[in-house]
This record gives sequence, C-alpha cells and structure tokens, in this order.
Amino acid sequence: MQKREAVLILLLLAVTASILVCTVIGPAGIPFLGLPEDESSSIILFSVRLPRVIAAMLVGFGLAAAGVVMQGLFRNSMADPYLLGTSSGGALGAAVAIVFLGGAFHWVLAFVGCIAATFLVYGISRRGGRIPVEQLLLTGIAVSMFLSAILSFIMYSAGKSLHQIFLWLMGGFWNISWHDVWVGLLIVPASLALLLFSRELNIFSLGEEDALHLGVDIEFLKKGLLLASSFITGIAVAIAGSIGFIGLITPHLMRLVVGPDHRLLIPASMMAGGILLVLSDTLARTAGNEVPVGVVTAFFGAPFFIFLLKRRYMG
Amino acid sequence: MIDLRDVDLDYGAHVVLKDVSFQSGKGEFLGIIGPNGSGKTTLLKAISRVVTPSSGTVLLDQRKITEFSPLELSREIAVVPQAADPGFDFSVREVVRMGRYPHIGRFGSEKEEDREICRRAMKITKISHLAERPVLAISGGELQRVIIARALAQEPNLLLLDEPTAHLDLGQQMGILQTMKDMSREIAVIGVFHNLNYAAHYCDRLILLHKHRILAMGNPAGVLTQEFIRTAFEIDVTVRANPFTGRPSISPVYEPEGMKRNCGRIHVICGGGEGADLLQALHADGCEVTAGVLAVNDSDYRAAKTLVIPCISEPPFSPVTERSLGELALALEDARTVILTRGLWGAGNIGNLRVLESANIKKVIILDRWAGEEEEWDYTGGEAEAILERLVTGGAIRVKDIRSAAAAAKDITGGKQCTD
Repeated sequence: MQKREAVLILLLLAVTASILVCTVIGPAGIPFLGLPEDESSSIILFSVRLPRVIAAMLVGFGLAAAGVVMQGLFRNSMADPYLLGTSSGGALGAAVAIVFLGGAFHWVLAFVGCIAATFLVYGISRRGGRIPVEQLLLTGIAVSMFLSAILSFIMYSAGKSLHQIFLWLMGGFWNISWHDVWVGLLIVPASLALLLFSRELNIFSLGEEDALHLGVDIEFLKKGLLLASSFITGIAVAIAGSIGFIGLITPHLMRLVVGPDHRLLIPASMMAGGILLVLSDTLARTAGNEVPVGVVTAFFGAPFFIFLLKRRYMG
Repeated sequence: MIDLRDVDLDYGAHVVLKDVSFQSGKGEFLGIIGPNGSGKTTLLKAISRVVTPSSGTVLLDQRKITEFSPLELSREIAVVPQAADPGFDFSVREVVRMGRYPHIGRFGSEKEEDREICRRAMKITKISHLAERPVLAISGGELQRVIIARALAQEPNLLLLDEPTAHLDLGQQMGILQTMKDMSREIAVIGVFHNLNYAAHYCDRLILLHKHRILAMGNPAGVLTQEFIRTAFEIDVTVRANPFTGRPSISPVYEPEGMKRNCGRIHVICGGGEGADLLQALHADGCEVTAGVLAVNDSDYRAAKTLVIPCISEPPFSPVTERSLGELALALEDARTVILTRGLWGAGNIGNLRVLESANIKKVIILDRWAGEEEEWDYTGGEAEAILERLVTGGAIRVKDIRSAAAAAKDITGGKQCTD
C-alpha cells in the first residue's frame, strides 16, 4: 500500500514538473525563470506552448488508459488502443474532411470515424448477444484493412491535399489551441470511468469464463470498456491524429514498475503516458524542427519495445 | 440443493444433453464420467450457467438459476477448470483474493475477514508459502491449487470441478482430489472424471453419461460394472473390489498387439499358474483362446478372467465334476489346437487329461517347461504320465517354452496368418 501511493505521488510530481519544464523549453529563447517580460513571449508561453503541452499530456493520458484496457480485455500485452479499427476509422474521417471539406471539421470527422469503426467491429462480432473476444480481434483487423484501403484510395486521388493527409496520419500537436485542451479534458472523466472497472479487469485476466464464474457481468464489462476506450481514443485521435506506441508501450512499462493490478496500473500508466508524450512532443518541436510527434514516438518507441520483448523472453 | 429436471441441451442441430435429471446436495461428492463427447463438461456448464438448456430447468435451492444475478450465482457456485491460463503476472495472493469479488463487488473494499478467508483457503490447498510468488512463475500443479484456493475463497455451496487434475502428476492429482473429498463434507462437490479409478475412489455417487444421456447413476459399485463400461467406452475391463477400500478398481484389458489372427480356437488346459503367461501370450498374439477346467482359486483362472478368456470353472478346492468335464468335451470338439501344460496332476484334475485323451485330438501341444527336472509332478500313481506318453505317441508335440508352443499352435492350425 505504501509503495503504491509513493509511485502515484512520484508520477504526479513528474507530471507537474514536465508540464512546467516543457512549457518553458522552446526555440523562441524565452528566459527559463520568471514571468515573460514582453507580450509576444507571453503569447508564445500561454497561448501556444502551454495549451500544446497540456493537450499532449491529456492525449497521453487517454492513449495509455485505452491501451491498458485493451491489453486487459484481450489478455494480450500486444494490444493497443487502435486494435479495433479506431485509427484507420479516424484517419479515414480526417482524410474525407481534408479532401472534401477543405479540412473543415476534420477533428469532428476523425472522432466520428473512430467511434463508427468501433461500432462497426462490435456489430459484426456480436453473436447472439455475446461478443467473443477472438471474433472482436479478427474483425478489428479486417475492418482496419478495409478502411485503410479506402483511405489509400482517397490519398491516391487526393492531389494537393496529400501532404496534409500525410501530416495528419503521422500525428502531431502543431495546431493546438486552448479549444483542443477543453475537448481533451473529456479524456479525464472517461479514463476515471475505466478505473471503476479495474477490479473486474484484474479478474478478466484469468480468462473470460473464469471471470464469469467469479460473478463478473462479462458482456456488460466488455461493452462498457469498449465504449469508454473508443470514446477516449476518438478524442485523442481528433486532437492529434493517430500517434503510435504510447498506448502500447506505456502499459508495458508500468506493468514492470507497479505490477498488473489495474487499480494502480491504470492511473500510473495514464500519468506515464502523458509524461512520455509531452517529452516526445517537446523533442519534436525543438530538436526535431517540428517533425510530427508520431515520428518521435515510433523512432524511440519501436526499439524500446523490442528491448522489452527481448527482456521478456530472456527472463 | 442442485436439482436438474429433464435438461435437454443442443448447440444448433447438435444434441449435447438429453433428458438429464438428478439432484445433489451438501455432503456429497458426485462424479460425472463418460467417454469424450458424451456431454460431461457441457453438463457442468449447464449447472454453472455458461450455457443455457434448450429445455428443462436447473434449480439451485428450489430457485431457477436463470433468476440469479451474476454476483449471487458466484456466491453459490464456484468452478475449477481443467487448467488456468493467467494472462498477467499477479501474485498468488492477489489471484486468491479475486475469489472474494462475489462478496465485495465492484465498489466494496477488502476487510480483515476477507483476508482471513483467503488465508484459510490457501492453507487448505497448501499454498500459503507461495503467497507472494507471481502466478506465471509457479508450476502447473501449484497454479491449479491457487485456482482451487480462489474457488474456496468464494465460499460456495457448490463446487464444480472440470477434470481439475487433468494436467497434473500422480501425487498432485491425489492430493487435490483428497482436498476436494474433504471439502465435500461441508458443501456439494460435482466433478468430471476421466480416470474411473479416481471416480470410484473419491466419489460417493456417479453419473455415467453415454450418448448425451444418463446411462447409469448410483454408487460406484453399481455404475462401474463391466457391462456399463463396455457399453459406454466400448472396451473390456476387469472390475475388482480394491482390497483396502472395497471400492471398485478397474483395469483395462489391453488390445492384442499386431494383427488379429484367425487361426481357429486354441484351448488351453493348465493350472497352478503354469498357464497364466501362456494365456497372456496367446491373447496378445490375437488368437482366440479358451481355457479350463480350472478352479476359481487358481491363478490361471484369474489370468483368464483378466484377459476375458472364456473359461470352464469349478469352485475352489473341489474335484473336477462330470458337468464341467462335459463342457470340456464340448469345448475340445471344435478346438483346432489344444495346449496342455505339464503342471501338477492329482485326483482333482486328472479328469481333464482323461477327457483330452478320449477326445482324440491330433493337434495337441504339451508345454513341458520342467522337462528333465526330477521334481514330482504326477500324483495320480502314474496315470497322468501314462496319458502324456500316449498323447506323444499319438502325435502330440512336446515344447519347452511358450514361444515354441505358440509357434507350434500356429503351424498346426495351418501356419497362415489371416489378416482380417
């Protein structure tokens, strides 16, 4: 109990610290300490960097929380928030908005795309009121491929908009305003809703039938978790596009630190995911000359993931 | 307490259970046996509400199980599967504590009482020393004990076991089943068994399923009979009472090695243990064998029974009667070959030799393993020796070992191996 609280407090401090530090870091060369002296510095700090850092933090929260839940639900640590077609659904929605609406409402369509893809997968997998997890997984893969095919076709015929779609696909925070932060705040209550299911998720890790015998209402659990996590993922994708690896690696990493108990794993992963994404984004906009943050997370995330895998097989 | 009434269950067009009715309650260890695909596991699943019967009802304390909420049901029934598959690396203690979920629910918190119940469950299943170990790092037997402890932590009134020892070694199996047996004094335990001897030993009552129906139900001795087992499993077994427990003990009659031969019937006249290995060898060779006349206390008689070889028999310590000698004469009439072991001959069994001689069979083989040894074997005042001499003169073959006896038997009967 002592250790649990210590880890959470430590992570909370790290969250606060990374928001403060990453806000003051940037190419504009604003003095590290003290309040900004002129108006342009103030605008850079409070209207550009701060919302961007907070949005990255929130998106990191969401992706990590959804990742933990997906891995728990599928009892597979290779699962990620995009498993059920959410990323390709979101990408398709955004691409449609970019090509046909000149980019207007692209985040709305991305969100709608995410949710619609999840419901499509869910609807196809449903069999007599039940959703077999394996069916869900395979349907997710098939639907993702199908949506990606449509997306590829749109990109192929996109002409001038291709670059814009491409940037969106890689994910990033370069156009963030306070408006995005307000939307992103929805991630917090939704993630806390996931936390309510953490005891059931623990039991679920021993298998669906075992969970049933222990009195878990498994169909309700699956529906609730899928709905909440696709909502969270949808918001994250709408704000920043589909950023990879945060939802996959953070749960892994935190499972090593705090163990598999979801009551602790969900909040710990959320904070760690937020911190990782804020750091990645800071790296992307400073050293990386505004490369999309998805490039940074994949560049560092993939080798790190391989390291974790190796470690697991060695251990 | 648990009461199944006319339960039918099908998966689409495929019938899995038909007309299943039984009751069981506190203090009973009920075993479900039957061949693969007879519906054993489905029956457990119908009780634990994983599957729903297409007709009939399952009542728990006079209440339909469909009326129970998931949490309510999990406070009544706990299930131990064949093998657990933990997805993540929880500690043993954490997994056992999951068994308290039915009592705590989503928002409650563990109390000292819950922890105490878990400690007791771990003590019963002898895993207290593993409490802090990760479940992915313990052995299969230990993991199964963890799952049983978790089931006990549920404090169920009915414990369902789906072959809980299927993947464990002998010692682990017996330890776990004994624990279950002990539990059954306080609650109802229903278990699926593949091992009939375990079922016979640990269960108070058995249900034998065959083709989705209850073929037999009752105490182990009444259910585990040669006939029921032959019907259900399509094998021949011998059933004996275990000398220590009095429970039925089943041993299979092993299929003959190699091809079935059609060499005509071989009748074996033996006794005093001289014929047991010969019978075994001929049976294993796929020959059709009969034996006798033998007293039922003769070890050769028991060998014949074990191999399900038809045998003419007499009560123990009695001389061979006219009636059995008549049966022997009949048996010799259409036997292709007779093998005679040179055992001990006396007033009680000399009748066998007399009938053999008068049957005038040419294909006689004498298995004389002790040829040349001076030990006394003829207690009939020379009659047995004289008959044997006359048989040899009449064309009987004398051999020294079983291999030659079997070879000679096949040779005399035509030497052909039939492949049917």
